[in-house]
Amino acid sequence: MDPTTSTSRETLEVDVLIVGGGPAGLSAALRLAQLQQGAGRSGPNGPSLQVAVLEKAREAGAHMLSGAVLDLSTLRDLIPDYKDKGAPLVAEVDDEDVLFLTETSKISLPIIPPPLKNHGNYIISLNQFVRWLTSQVEAAGVDFFSGFAGEDVLMDGERVIGVRTPDRGIDKHGNPKPTFEPGVDIHAKVTIFCDGVRGNLTKELMRRLPLGDSRHPQQFAIGLKELWEIPPDRLKAGSVVHTLGYPLKHEEFGGGFIYAMPHGQLSIGFVAGLDYKDPLFDPHMAFNRFKQHPFVSSLLAGGQMIRYGAKALPEGGWNTIPRVYMDGALIAGDAGAFLNSMRLKGIHLAMRTGMLAAETAFDAVRAGDTSAAGLKAYKERIDRSAVRDELYPVRNAHQAFEYGLFPGLAFAGVAVVTHGWSPVDLQGHPGHQRMKQLAWYYGSRQTNVDRPSNATTIDRRLTFDKLTNVHFSGTSHDEDQPSHLLVHTEVCSSICGPEYGHPCTRFCPANVYEIAHEADGTPRLQINAANCVHCKTCDIMDPYQVITWVPPEDGGGPQYNGM
Amino acid sequence: MIAVIAEQRDGRLNRATWETIAAAQQLAGGMPIKVAVLGAATGGVAQEVASAAVVEVLVAEHAALEPYTPDAYASAARTLIESAAPTYVLLPHTYQTRDFAPLLAARLRKPLITDVTGITGSGAGATFVRPMFQGKLAAQVKPLGGSPAIVTTQIGAFRADAAQKGGSASITKIDIQIDPTTVRQKPEAPFREAKQAVDLGQAERIVAVGRGIKSQENIPLAEKLAKAIDAEVAASRPICDNGWLPMERQIGSSGQTVAPKLYVALGISGAIQHLVGMKGSRTIVAINKDAEAPIFEVADYGIVGDLFEIAPAIIAELEKS
Repeated sequence: MDPTTSTSRETLEVDVLIVGGGPAGLSAALRLAQLQQGAGRSGPNGPSLQVAVLEKAREAGAHMLSGAVLDLSTLRDLIPDYKDKGAPLVAEVDDEDVLFLTETSKISLPIIPPPLKNHGNYIISLNQFVRWLTSQVEAAGVDFFSGFAGEDVLMDGERVIGVRTPDRGIDKHGNPKPTFEPGVDIHAKVTIFCDGVRGNLTKELMRRLPLGDSRHPQQFAIGLKELWEIPPDRLKAGSVVHTLGYPLKHEEFGGGFIYAMPHGQLSIGFVAGLDYKDPLFDPHMAFNRFKQHPFVSSLLAGGQMIRYGAKALPEGGWNTIPRVYMDGALIAGDAGAFLNSMRLKGIHLAMRTGMLAAETAFDAVRAGDTSAAGLKAYKERIDRSAVRDELYPVRNAHQAFEYGLFPGLAFAGVAVVTHGWSPVDLQGHPGHQRMKQLAWYYGSRQTNVDRPSNATTIDRRLTFDKLTNVHFSGTSHDEDQPSHLLVHTEVCSSICGPEYGHPCTRFCPANVYEIAHEADGTPRLQINAANCVHCKTCDIMDPYQVITWVPPEDGGGPQYNGM
Repeated sequence: MIAVIAEQRDGRLNRATWETIAAAQQLAGGMPIKVAVLGAATGGVAQEVASAAVVEVLVAEHAALEPYTPDAYASAARTLIESAAPTYVLLPHTYQTRDFAPLLAARLRKPLITDVTGITGSGAGATFVRPMFQGKLAAQVKPLGGSPAIVTTQIGAFRADAAQKGGSASITKIDIQIDPTTVRQKPEAPFREAKQAVDLGQAERIVAVGRGIKSQENIPLAEKLAKAIDAEVAASRPICDNGWLPMERQIGSSGQTVAPKLYVALGISGAIQHLVGMKGSRTIVAINKDAEAPIFEVADYGIVGDLFEIAPAIIAELEKS
């Protein structure tokens, strides 16, 4: 008898299951607890709802990474006394700059574009913020299960009835170890999917239900970030710098960010659109080149990199948001693409959609109708909320950057002035389809697929190789488990190598994918799954869509302390 | 009455039994406690547990109880329980208990509460605490379905040194019958997985190979050098990933951490994940083609060159002396 398939599973029944302990999921959990206590809502208290939160990281917030500058609007509504409760807001933004970089110089934009105005916003570490938010949720009496991911959506016909957590104790050949324990089925009247950007469960839902019909294709970028310690007097805490231009080509979307915190701590990062054309482009190299720009390298000189991480972000905006309600389930936060790519902000939108999902789920469970019809009120709540006010006017902005940097900027400017009036909405394209084949992009020019086209020198002081960087992400996985990156490797050397030159080795920011050579010289894809920082870029950007990210067992992943 | 089933092998008491006795004393609330010892030749185990503050030690010896089988143990325990009629039966949550206690409970058709970490209340109305969902939740369990309730105590949840000693329990031999034809298991001799053949942490000298060794056919070169300087062979991750050397020889953040007197790195570039596992070595010698390789930042002696020329030369020189 194979215990991995035929063991009886434990089942846990709850009223509302929240999958993902990020800003969206935790805001949903806290809002449910508040509604339960009767706060902010009149009417008699119904029976108490059982609420549970699943989080794949072993510790609250350990997989959380963002810039980050927080717009406080949702926090004020969710936790009005956030200051007394010790919300870790690191520094208020009081100096901001937007720079256009050329290879050797910088030009300050004469005015800060309105979407990038950060007055009144706060620099935070999302990891610390989420840890704090978790403590608020636990204090409100919600069960928070860290170290438990959702691996499969449980469905009854078209209805979502819960999720299954991964089996534990399986060795790398797929055989049960003495510690084998089957995953748990968690059944819920309403499941709120907050599994983040390119969430594995939301992806599964979109495959099984027509949630993306008549919506535009999803769009993504990858953000890479380091935490540095620099001499404390070099940049005033609360300073926020965004850059455009170098080292990206005009056809490439993205830019850098630098946020200064007290005691010489600096968040520095780079966002690159996952819709680049050059198959030899490497986002991690772009980040290295950004740091080598004279303006940036002079800031970092004599400092020390102390943390590293990477995460994809949903960039497509309003028109790419899928249908977020269905029988028995809702989608909130990055999983539903609630992010404003013009403002570079999503945390407050994740929190807001989490709250609105909680309010909808609460009403639906108490009314006894958790069908799609009963949960449709979520969409109506979103349409009436600040989420739509913010996202609708810029719905075409990211798509406009497909035409290049300057058309994109011009379009974004017009959208700001006209509040998003447009005779027709721009249709984006899935980023992996925009990547060109080597022969198309380089023609007859000689290419070396072992070296990114934007390669630069690595000195391990200012610039780092991916393996060194990964060390500073604190990533660890139990080595004796099946790879959590499911790859149809048969296309690797037969098609992908000749056509694209193995782009996975470049777009992965953590050296998960390596081309090893057999004794006879045949290339073979080696998957270093233990390096994975859970950014989801490979799942998004692989040109053949043959990479599927699934949660590893037992809470493995990065340890983003302070990111 | 509470019955504690002690665990022994070859006349040696499993220390976890004392923890279970402590749990029984906490649970008792005035109920008498008896300790049962099962086995073929239990030696001094009965005397040892008789020093606890319990009323009686019951010894049930039978040839069929050696070697251990779940059928024989369940049968012997069942006979004991049916004659003594306890309210609770307590066992330490050992591998052996996990093996036969479910069978025993099923045969008796009585409740089984496993891996108990705490007890609230005492006597017949007590509530037991056990972990659920890998310790994320603690379930409070009250046995239904009549006595005895069979309870196993988590190792380490109760303190062995908290077991009260009394010293005057009487020892009673109990006759039990086990029909050998009902024992369906024929155990093989117990074995341990082969002891790790190499303990790199103890090695005074290590020769470690990295990707620069190029192919599995070249591993003997490293082994030859290791032999020449009486060293152990180790490797960086890619070598073990490829299966060229066993995982137990991997040095670094996902392998072992070592600090030998001499560490010779052959064709190892020195990724930080490797350096954290060996940078405490007293003398580091690195041989690598790439002068920029980070291994040279920690090396005391660095040779930039082709290891396939340099290693044989070193071996030849050592063999001369």
